[in-house]
Amino acid sequence: MITPVAGRAGAPQATPIATQHTAGRRLEVIGVWKSYVDKTYVVENVSFTLEPGQFLTLLGPSGSGKTTTLMMVAGFELPTRGEIRVGGRDVARLLPERRNFGVVFQGYALFPQMTVLENVEFGLWMRRLPRRECRRRGMEMLEKVGLVEFASRKPRELSGGQQQRVALARALVFEPDALLLDEPLGALDRRLREALQLEIKEIQRRIGISILYVTHDQDEAMMMSDRIAVMRSGRIVQLDSPTEIYQHPRTPFVANFLGETNLLPVIECQSEGGVAQVRFADGSLGFAAQPRGGSKKPAGSKMMLSLRPERIQILRRPDQTDSVVTGTVRERTFLGRQIRYVVETLGQKLIVSTTDPRLLAEIALDHRVQLGWAHGDAQLLAESDD
Amino acid sequence: MAPSDHIIVTDTEPLGTSSRRNNVGKRLLLLCTIPIGVYLLLPSLVVVPMALTKSQLIQFPPEWISVHSFADYFGDPQWIDSTITSFKVAVLAMIIACIVGAATGLGLHGKQFPGKGVVVGIILSPIVIPLVVLALADYLFFARVHFVGNWVAISLAHSLLVTPYVFVTVQASLTGLDPALVRSARSLGARSLAVWRYTYWPAIKPGILAGAIFAFAVSFDEVVIALFLQGPDATTLPVRMFTSIQYDLTPKIAAIATLLLGVAAVALVAQAALALRGGALSRPR
Repeated sequence: MITPVAGRAGAPQATPIATQHTAGRRLEVIGVWKSYVDKTYVVENVSFTLEPGQFLTLLGPSGSGKTTTLMMVAGFELPTRGEIRVGGRDVARLLPERRNFGVVFQGYALFPQMTVLENVEFGLWMRRLPRRECRRRGMEMLEKVGLVEFASRKPRELSGGQQQRVALARALVFEPDALLLDEPLGALDRRLREALQLEIKEIQRRIGISILYVTHDQDEAMMMSDRIAVMRSGRIVQLDSPTEIYQHPRTPFVANFLGETNLLPVIECQSEGGVAQVRFADGSLGFAAQPRGGSKKPAGSKMMLSLRPERIQILRRPDQTDSVVTGTVRERTFLGRQIRYVVETLGQKLIVSTTDPRLLAEIALDHRVQLGWAHGDAQLLAESDD
Repeated sequence: MAPSDHIIVTDTEPLGTSSRRNNVGKRLLLLCTIPIGVYLLLPSLVVVPMALTKSQLIQFPPEWISVHSFADYFGDPQWIDSTITSFKVAVLAMIIACIVGAATGLGLHGKQFPGKGVVVGIILSPIVIPLVVLALADYLFFARVHFVGNWVAISLAHSLLVTPYVFVTVQASLTGLDPALVRSARSLGARSLAVWRYTYWPAIKPGILAGAIFAFAVSFDEVVIALFLQGPDATTLPVRMFTSIQYDLTPKIAAIATLLLGVAAVALVAQAALALRGGALSRPR
């Protein structure tokens, strides 16, 4: 019954397609749960909103429920509970062919027997548009992704990057409500991945479509997303902008999954005006940023501080920063653009990375050094992993 | 023989052996495979000179050289009738096998259920059940319904025998089908008929064609069932050859065998070509 293309052309719409540079409709996932026969939940109470034109990434290790969540949005999995709304309407029980999402799979899954143009036209054929209209819009789309001269080639005659553009064009041509990408770059090597990430971003910027993206690669998520939902064991642990997630992680898992971090156990903490004064196990004091949005931590449970290796300074004078600890250098690795030290302090090993090559001459193994950080560079974690 | 020799040689070569050892190995292997190839082919090829005999009886060594046995065959309405019957039987059996085999292959594709192995075993059983047993059972059944002596009965019995060939080739071609392709089609708005037309059909087409050639060849060639179910108006070519060799020893038999050999060679080449194309299709890059 749903003929989205016709609807777009004629009937008035619940949610208007906004400006020229944002396409798609608001996608709301509300309290979605998924379990299979064995009753354990693979997705637990997942909620998020994808605004038109936005790029939202579901990031998590394998088994975190990110792909299942995407497949529920696409319609290939039925949620056990919850709603999936597009422009305010619940589509959670609709068959995939009756939703209006462009889906891009790993390996792209282009129709091998069809030409590039036929692949792109496919979604329009299925919407029973007149042949000439299909051809016109197909060619227009190929123009947008720069593949006009490949229109009559078969997919296998194209490079990986060109195939991706065909897959994107095919998913975009019928003006979907959103683009859903399921680890499209998962099987590729690093160099190609980076090039293709840029290309996806570029096409998204040009068309203004909203994108729901699934990946396990934190760099990919950071580079591409407006917002990242970090998932673990079927739940969203944190949903924020990449900078917010990197600088203010809420749990040890998030802090570790996005980039590298040092986790320091804290035995006592007093907060004042967004700054927390903490006491470590050995009695020394330090400062850190308070968790944003409050702590859900039950009183008396173990607290943790996340400290990024690149935010720790090796001090020449002790009064440079508000938090100072003393330790012994145990390892030193020269990596070209950075130098990594492992320093033993506070009863554990801290990773410190610096880009200052002069330190190489000054600080050698077994030296005593003073490490410091500004209170804004350390983050007191709101929750522990369960 | 040449291309298959080549494949065997390259496949058995371990990596990293010196080229000199390679050469010795290749020669030794060739030395073994050529006699085996000759041994496999020669008995079939023997019918060719026998068909070119001048004599009215089949004999070895033949008296060269005449094509009268071919002319005799084409001039004999009984033999031509049998040939036509064989074609009708094989074509109908092939069509039934294609429909049933492909449907079964598709139906079982991607499904996991307890007892699937047993179901597949039953589908494949006509290949392993002794032909005489199958023929006898067919005879008893068709005798009961008064259908013996009709080419359709032979064809139905054959269709049972050749369905596994289509099933196997369709199943094989479906393993090359990317499940994401089906999902892609659906996400683009394809309902079940369109999904079938644009994803499953292109994937299984080469499998059906390959299976069809097999099915036709096996049915055309089959003699045991055809012998049990034969009648005056339903004598297939192999059955007529079989009976003829017991009574009149005409060199027409050798002529037909020669023609069939030619047809089989063409079919083999066609099937190999299809398999190559199918392989290229099912592996999109």
